[in-house]
Amino acid sequence: MAGWSGPRATRRPAGRHPVAGRLGAARCDGARRGVGRPVSPNPVGDRFERLAQSIAERVVNLVLDAIDINAVVEQVDINALVADVDINAVVAEVDINALIERVDINAVIDRVDINALVQKVDLDAVVSQMDVDSLVEKTELGSIIAKSTTGVLTEVLDVVRSQGVGLDDFFARWTNLFLRRKAGTLPIGPPLLVAQPAPPALSPGAPTLERP
Amino acid sequence: MAPVQPPPVEQTVGRQGNYAGVVSRAVAFGVDVAAVWGLYTLGVYAVSLGTQLLFGKPLNVSKHQLAALIVVVIWGFFYFAYQWTLGGRTLGMALFGLQVVGADGSPVTGRQAVIRTLALPLSFLILPLALLMILIQRERRPLHDLIGGTAVVYAWDARAARLRWLAQKEPLPRTKTPELPAS
Repeated sequence: MAGWSGPRATRRPAGRHPVAGRLGAARCDGARRGVGRPVSPNPVGDRFERLAQSIAERVVNLVLDAIDINAVVEQVDINALVADVDINAVVAEVDINALIERVDINAVIDRVDINALVQKVDLDAVVSQMDVDSLVEKTELGSIIAKSTTGVLTEVLDVVRSQGVGLDDFFARWTNLFLRRKAGTLPIGPPLLVAQPAPPALSPGAPTLERP
Repeated sequence: MAPVQPPPVEQTVGRQGNYAGVVSRAVAFGVDVAAVWGLYTLGVYAVSLGTQLLFGKPLNVSKHQLAALIVVVIWGFFYFAYQWTLGGRTLGMALFGLQVVGADGSPVTGRQAVIRTLALPLSFLILPLALLMILIQRERRPLHDLIGGTAVVYAWDARAARLRWLAQKEPLPRTKTPELPAS
């Protein structure tokens, strides 16, 4: 098929111009028949081939129209299909670094509403899970705090006060032991200053429990 | 050098607002009595100096004992009542991180502070009873607290104190970055 450009590929040779009269008509007729140009080595087979191609296209379209693709997909066991796929092997072939390099992180971050994100975070819960003692002890945060807040007088006061509290507890423990009362039954502080389980709030008109 | 040991957690953290114990209160009261007496002595010395400068003769307090007693009582009343009204704490109480509050924990009012001050001599005169009441009474409230409708609580930032203690310790050494071989 090399060199054959097909019957429709009519191309006027360079430098030629249309010729008037019978000679011109004959020339045109010859050009229309493909005279002087390479032709297919098997013109009959080519026609059949094109015919078969058009029939096939028509048949495929008819078949596709007749098939309910959704019904076919529903019959496919996607889970089994996915289970057969070795995801690790697939992932191993992915060049993550190249992938990341193609991602515009700044554009992604620009689309994130940081304020909305932060508002959703329960910072109290996060902080409550932190071991602040350990943080202060093991990081330079401790020395920063010490330099900024600790003076000699503060240190002395801390010592004196904590020793005083220790002695308070010592005497209170022995008193409770002597009086045979449990420390847990005693109030630890005024109700407004010590977190105590609050009774359920009742509105003025709310029903109250009546004693039998 | 021995490592710094922070005070036990139960002695520091979470004690704010708890009823103060007998030792802290007694020592704080001792500091206050010393302050009252010391300031009175300073005042008497200043007045004596003044009279010597003005009249050429120093003031002899031993000759005016009744007047001196009245002055001491008034000065003591002013010392306690004024400071309790102002912030619920005297000099000694501030030193030991104590504070006078209402029996329910509300800030102490001027009326409560005055009544408490007036009732204080009762506890002071029978000091052992007052100390015993702090030990025995369920809310650690001696006579003048019960009369004045007040209580004394720890009011110092014990949590910050513990953090300061922990901060005294040297932080762990940083892990050294391995040196790259010279190419």
